[in-house]
Amino acid sequence: MSKGIKESGEKAIIVDSLLKSFEFSEKQTGLLGGFKSLLAPKKKTIRALKSISFTINQGELVGFIGPNGAGKTTTLKILSGLLYPTSGFVQVIEHDPWKRDPKFLKNISLVMGQKNQLWWDLPARDTFNLNKEIYELADHKFKENLAELCKILDAEKLLDTQVRRLSLGQRMRLELIAALLHKPKVLFLDEPTIGLDVVGQQKIRDFIFDYNKRSSATIILTSHNMDDVIDLAKRVIVINKGEILFDGDLKDLTSKFAKEKIIKVYLGKSADIKKFENIGKVKRYNFPQAVISVPREASAIAAAELLQNFPVTDLTIEEEPIEEVIRRVFKGEIIK
Amino acid sequence: MKKYLQIFNISFQQEFAYKLSFVMWRVRNIMQILVVFFLWDTVFSVRQSEIFGYDRDMILTYIFGLVFVKAFVLSSRTQDVAGEIARGEIINYLLRPVNYFKYWLTRDFSSKALNFMFAIGEFLLLYFILKPPFFFQSDPLQIILFLICLGLAMLTYFLLLFIVSAIPFWAPELGWGGHFIFTVIMVEFLSGVLFPLDILPMTFQNILGYTPFPYMIYFPLQIYLGKISGFFAIKGMLISLGWIFILWLLMKSIWEKGLRAYQAYGR
Repeated sequence: MSKGIKESGEKAIIVDSLLKSFEFSEKQTGLLGGFKSLLAPKKKTIRALKSISFTINQGELVGFIGPNGAGKTTTLKILSGLLYPTSGFVQVIEHDPWKRDPKFLKNISLVMGQKNQLWWDLPARDTFNLNKEIYELADHKFKENLAELCKILDAEKLLDTQVRRLSLGQRMRLELIAALLHKPKVLFLDEPTIGLDVVGQQKIRDFIFDYNKRSSATIILTSHNMDDVIDLAKRVIVINKGEILFDGDLKDLTSKFAKEKIIKVYLGKSADIKKFENIGKVKRYNFPQAVISVPREASAIAAAELLQNFPVTDLTIEEEPIEEVIRRVFKGEIIK
Repeated sequence: MKKYLQIFNISFQQEFAYKLSFVMWRVRNIMQILVVFFLWDTVFSVRQSEIFGYDRDMILTYIFGLVFVKAFVLSSRTQDVAGEIARGEIINYLLRPVNYFKYWLTRDFSSKALNFMFAIGEFLLLYFILKPPFFFQSDPLQIILFLICLGLAMLTYFLLLFIVSAIPFWAPELGWGGHFIFTVIMVEFLSGVLFPLDILPMTFQNILGYTPFPYMIYFPLQIYLGKISGFFAIKGMLISLGWIFILWLLMKSIWEKGLRAYQAYGR
C-alpha cells in the first residue's frame, strides 16, 4: 500500500512566489466593436495569481477556499501541468509539472466538475480499459483497484451503461473511479461535489476522506461548499484575488476570526425586538425564533440576560457559521 | 504499444455508437461518388472525344480511383482536435501520460481502417452497377510506389490538419473557420479531389508541384494509373518527404507555442 511513499514529513508540493498572468484581447460589444476588436485589439492582462507560496506534505488533505475567480482552479491547473507559470517555483512530487514527464503524470490526477474524461457514447468500462493501458497498469492491479473502487462507490451496476444515459451523480462517481484507477500519489479535486444532491455530496466526501486515510495520497480540494471543507480538511488555504489570505488549521481560522457567537432563542410569546438590541445585534427575527449575535466573551452573560428578561422556551449558543467567517476573511478583516 | 492498440479499439467502437448516423455517412459517400460520376458521364455524352486531354474512360477511372484514395488519405478524425481544444477537452489528454500526437495518429488509423472496409464494399457495389471503364494496375512496381505514396499522403494530410487545428489555442472561435478554409479550399481544390490537376495550365501545375497538396490525392492516383512513373515518381516522392519533414517541424513548434499560450479555459 505504501510502496514508494516516503515518510509523511516529505514535501509533496512546493510552491514559491508563483505568479500567473493571463493576457487576452478584449472583445468590444456590438458590430462596430467587433470590427474595432479585429483591427486594433485592446490587450488586457489579468493577474490571476500574485506571488503565492505554500508547501504541502505527503498525505495531507488541504482545502482551498476562495470566492469565484480567486485563483483556486488556476493554481490546480498549474500544479497539474496544464498551465505554464508566469514566474515562480513549482514542484510536485519532485517534478516540474509543466514538463509533463510520464512518471509525473502517472502519479497525479485532476478531477474537475465539468471536464469529464469518460467517453460519452460508450460504457464507462471502455474508458477504464483505455486508462489501464494509458497508465500501464498490470492486469491484476487494475482488476483489484477497479473492484475496490466500485464497491466503495457503489458503481458495479453502472459500468456497462453508456455514460450519456447516467445521472450526474452516477457520472461523478465513475469519473472518480477513472481518476483513481492508477492510485495517484497526488489528487487534485476541483469542486467535486458541484451539482450533486445532499446524499451524493456526502458519499463523495466520505469517499475522499477514506481514500486519504487508506492510501496516504496527498489531496488538494477546492470548493465553495463549506460542508466539504469542514468535513474533510484540517488545514485550509484561503485565497482571494490571487493572494493567500490564510494558511493554517481550520480551527484557528474560526477561533481567530470568529469574534462573535450566535444565540438562537425560541420565544413563547412575542416580544419587543428593540429590547433585544440592548443585549446584542439582532440578525433575524421570525417569531417564534430570534437570532442574535454577541461578542464571544459576553455570550454566557447575554444568554443569562435573555433567559431572565424574555419569555424564552429554548435557547442555543452557536459558533458563527464558517461561511460568515470566511466572508469576513475575504473582505480582508485579518489580524495577524 | 498496447496503449495505442486500445485507443485504436475504443475509437473503432466509438464510430459505431450511433448506428443511424453511421449508415447515413456511408450512404452520403456513395451519393457523392454517384453525383460526380453522372456529372462527368453527362458532360461526355453531350460531346464525344476529349476535354482537357481526358476522354470519358480516363476521367471516370480517375473518379473511381478517388473512392479509394480519399478513403485512405482524407478520412480522419483529426478534425475533432480543433473542437477539443476550443471546448477544453484536450485537458483530459494533457493530464495523462499519452502523447497527443500519437493518440490522434492512432485514431486516424482506426478511422481509415473502418473507412477502407466499407470503401471496398461500396466500390464493388458501384462498379457492378455503373460498370465504369476502370483500369486495374498490374505492374507491381507501380503498385508498390502507389502504396508508398499513399503512406506519405496520409502523413501529409495528418500533419497539415494538426497544424491547422492549433488555431484554437489562440482564437477558439476561429477553429471551424480555419478548418473550413483548409479542407474545402486547399485540400479539395488543390489536391485533385474535384478534378484531375493536369487540366490546369502548365505553369500552375509546376508551382503546385512544389506545394504539399497534390501529393495527397492527385499524385498517388496518377502513379496507380501509370501516368507518372520512374524519374518523375521519385522526384515527387522526394518533394513529398521534404514537405513532411518541414511540416513536422512546423507542427512541433506551433504546438509548443500553442500549449504555452493555452489558458486551459472551460473550467
